[in-house]
Amino acid sequence: MEITLLQGIIITLVVMVLVIDRHLEALFIFRPIIVCPIVGAILGDLNTGLVAGGMVELAFAGIAGIGGASVPEALLTSVMTVVFAHITGNNVATSLALAYPFGVLLQFLWTVRNTAFVSFNGPAERYAKEGNIKGLFKLCFYGIAITSIATGILTFLSVYAAQEPLRNLVQAMPDWLINGFQVAGGLLPAVGFAMLLRVTLKARYIPYLLAGFLFATFIQIDNVLPVAIMGLAFAMMEFYRSGDKEVALASGKESEKSGI
Amino acid sequence: MASKEKKRKRVVTDSDLNDLALLSVLNQSCFNYERMQSIGFTAGMGPALKKIYKNDPKTLSKVLHDNLEFINTHNTLLPYLQGLMLSLYEGGEDPETVKKIKISLFGPLAGIGDALFWFTLLPITAGICASLSDQGNVLGPIVFFLVFFAAFLLRFPLARMGYKTGTKALDKLQENTKRVSNAASVLGVTILGGLIASYVTLTVKTTIDIGHDATVSLQTDFFDKIMPNLLPFAFTFLIYFLLRKKVNTTVLIVGIIIVSIVFSFFGIL
Repeated sequence: MEITLLQGIIITLVVMVLVIDRHLEALFIFRPIIVCPIVGAILGDLNTGLVAGGMVELAFAGIAGIGGASVPEALLTSVMTVVFAHITGNNVATSLALAYPFGVLLQFLWTVRNTAFVSFNGPAERYAKEGNIKGLFKLCFYGIAITSIATGILTFLSVYAAQEPLRNLVQAMPDWLINGFQVAGGLLPAVGFAMLLRVTLKARYIPYLLAGFLFATFIQIDNVLPVAIMGLAFAMMEFYRSGDKEVALASGKESEKSGI
Repeated sequence: MASKEKKRKRVVTDSDLNDLALLSVLNQSCFNYERMQSIGFTAGMGPALKKIYKNDPKTLSKVLHDNLEFINTHNTLLPYLQGLMLSLYEGGEDPETVKKIKISLFGPLAGIGDALFWFTLLPITAGICASLSDQGNVLGPIVFFLVFFAAFLLRFPLARMGYKTGTKALDKLQENTKRVSNAASVLGVTILGGLIASYVTLTVKTTIDIGHDATVSLQTDFFDKIMPNLLPFAFTFLIYFLLRKKVNTTVLIVGIIIVSIVFSFFGIL
């Protein structure tokens, strides 16, 4: 289906607001689980937006740009996953894999911005010397405005201007290629999970990982909530046991070495 | 602090602390590779500092200048650090000392914050909410929003805590964080196990012809017989080990897409 000019503009404006939150990390309304349903609703397909939101959120769950690390941006990938599903009629998994390059595009834009903003440090020092607080706020405003506008332009080009070539490109793809993207879409959440494992998994947590895995594999569940409740039970056991000093000491030693 | 005896004229009010918490959102507005959050960090404390050094423009510009040095900490916990610094400045502490305290605190604070927010709260909330969204349930995004809105509101008490209790609170926070984050890790890892089983999909399509019009499917007759979801589990650990070998995330993602297409071409996946 087509994306009208009006829809393109509304999506762009919404993204221009959401990217401010991405930039400042304040309310977390920039996460896929929120972004996808909003874009879906604008395109008249809330359900696709919701399903995409769940999937993209998990694919990006562990991918955090901590300490200025450069990682693919979930925001534009979220928008484009819903857009691809809408304009090509492909399923969400396929659309997610097709939308990934757009996240990398936004990642490049960030790198350029973070380099360009180094030039703010000179004026900031001048304002500090003058005791000019308003001047500092002005710089903050520029930083936010530039991020919002640059992302807006990229979004409009990706969502609206490029839809015809994108659709033609996807329609020209043979079945094996589309299937390949779908397979990739099913595998990409593993990257997010693996990144989380890298920071949380210690040898003594493996039993819990296995328990959660077995539970979800062999017991029919609609969502992951029952696993979470079992996890909560384990967590409480661990918490109360760690009240015991000896255990706390032993675990303190253990936590020195991470990974298996 | 040794300077507790110095006379302390209170100028920072509760409403100033609320403003501080609100302005803390500016922290990353001028994020750059040289000094990261420094400009937004300084601007956020600006109005309160101006109040403290109303009659001392020289110290004001020194303090502002000090704060423009490199800083990179956790956004939600930031008001705690800013509140603490304000109470020290207000109490007449030597700006050099405050600077040293800031430098010694922002790193550990980032560590605590990342552990609690990015590695615990986010994946747990995301895991539960995403599985609701997945069924077309609007509660998914709504619950997610409420949880993180509550986290945002934490900035207000944190600003007060930093201002009123000072470094003592940090020791306590760090102590409790260890215990809480250990328990939270257990919860997180359990959910991760469930998420791997539910959301990583890897199905082999290859069938082996064994004659007499009978075929054996590698997936249903072999892998599933050993253990359902065996391949998704193994695949996730493959990525885990590649990450530990410091393979770049973007490279991994592009690699997965390419390998998927190649395997699809040969009809294996």
